[in-house]
Amino acid sequence: MAAETGTPTTLTLKSNDDELFSVAESAAILSVTIRNMVEDGCAGGVIPLDNVDGKTLASVITYMNGISAIPADEEKKKSYRDKFLSDKDFETLADMVLAANYLNMSCLMDAVSAKIAQVMEKKSVGWVRRKFGIENDYTPEEEAAVKEEHKWTFEGVETDDDN
Amino acid sequence: MAASSSAAAKPPWQELPREITAAILYKLGPFEILTTAVKVCTAWRSVCQDPSMWRRVDMRSTNGGWERPFKTEPMCRRAVDLSQGQLIDLSIEHFATDDLLLYISQRSSQLKRLQLINSLHMFRNSLIGAIKNFPLLEELHLEFTDVSRKTIETIGESCPLLKSFKLNTDWQKYTVSDAEALAISKSMHGLVHLQLISNRMTDKGLNAILEGCPNLESLDLRRCFKVRLWGNLRNLCSERIKDLKLPRDPIDDCRFGTHEVYNDDEYGTWDDDIYDDETSEDDVYDDESSDDFCGGCCCGDDDMDLVSDVALDDDDDSMEYSGDEYDDESEVSF
Repeated sequence: MAAETGTPTTLTLKSNDDELFSVAESAAILSVTIRNMVEDGCAGGVIPLDNVDGKTLASVITYMNGISAIPADEEKKKSYRDKFLSDKDFETLADMVLAANYLNMSCLMDAVSAKIAQVMEKKSVGWVRRKFGIENDYTPEEEAAVKEEHKWTFEGVETDDDN
Repeated sequence: MAASSSAAAKPPWQELPREITAAILYKLGPFEILTTAVKVCTAWRSVCQDPSMWRRVDMRSTNGGWERPFKTEPMCRRAVDLSQGQLIDLSIEHFATDDLLLYISQRSSQLKRLQLINSLHMFRNSLIGAIKNFPLLEELHLEFTDVSRKTIETIGESCPLLKSFKLNTDWQKYTVSDAEALAISKSMHGLVHLQLISNRMTDKGLNAILEGCPNLESLDLRRCFKVRLWGNLRNLCSERIKDLKLPRDPIDDCRFGTHEVYNDDEYGTWDDDIYDDETSEDDVYDDESSDDFCGGCCCGDDDMDLVSDVALDDDDDSMEYSGDEYDDESEVSF
């Protein structure tokens, strides 16, 4: 671990497409995965992160640096997270959620998950399938049954299951 | 983008690790899960029906509950069913009924936190039956949810682990009664956090709470305009309570702030007019005069206090509550 005083320790992270990144240990250990490696003494050389590509890792490191620079103020951290994610497109969010999960960063995971959920808020089943590229693997019988089981709208109210 | 497992043309949403799908879908909230996500594909259905998704269920309006004309009560029953007894935290707004609460209580013995908001379809004694089935309850938050003194006592007796209790309203502001405060002091000895926004208690009720709840760390008395903190009471509160909010402290951090009538200026106009006229200091604070008023009726000591307080309510209030106060014996003695 970094000494309490003196020069901050820097770690080198390697993405799965072989890009190298330098990051302050104090920021990098927001990732429990990295923290465990550091604590196990595996952080002497380069830390390989096999499940994260360079573009995503660069973004995650920006987040690590930004959020660790904010003192313990949950409101400010939240607003930083919101701002950080505000310009990310859908595909980037997908990469981020996988990276946050792999790196075990609960605060980022939480925020990205919420952001992705927001994308499908108030959308129809058909829209969600198209947006997420999900194939409808229900048999017609199963689909009819699942619709019947989840009939929550009042009679006469249009459902939007298929639009 | 460089080739990588996570950067294919389309992310493999259907094949994501289950915990990632669960994390995302959980954020949708119960209403969207039950109307949309569960129907998307079999993998999502499986995640949506996992009991772990239903341990903490937030069915408040702010979580999508009032956006579309859903049959909210059956949805809540489904949420309870899906939790398979693992429900530990439930918030519901607008649609709590006696039947629903009983249904929940018979299937959720692990419940630790319950929040009921705007429960206009519940009777004042509704919770009595249900609450006995929540022996592990630690937090009970009632907003705009009217309960009787007897209910409060039953809550206290049935939930020995109760640490946080909120009883917030705005509809009893013109009446004076220490009934709720006394019931709290009598039965909820383990409380650490207590919030009683717009409660109609007096200094006597507050004194009883300080005595009856020795572990209290936070106490929110905002809009309890009949609490005067006379004598040594203000000091006593400050010494005992780490986080103390006084009757006139700002209220804009909670939803009660939306009721404009409560800004201090307007409040000032009815404060002195109404309650000082109707309840003189002697009536409220002098126990002896209260006893005289009670006139040696048959009620016990505790009840006598309650009765004396209720006696101070103005006539309009007794009319207002005549419909549902009959369960509170002490409050209908007159």
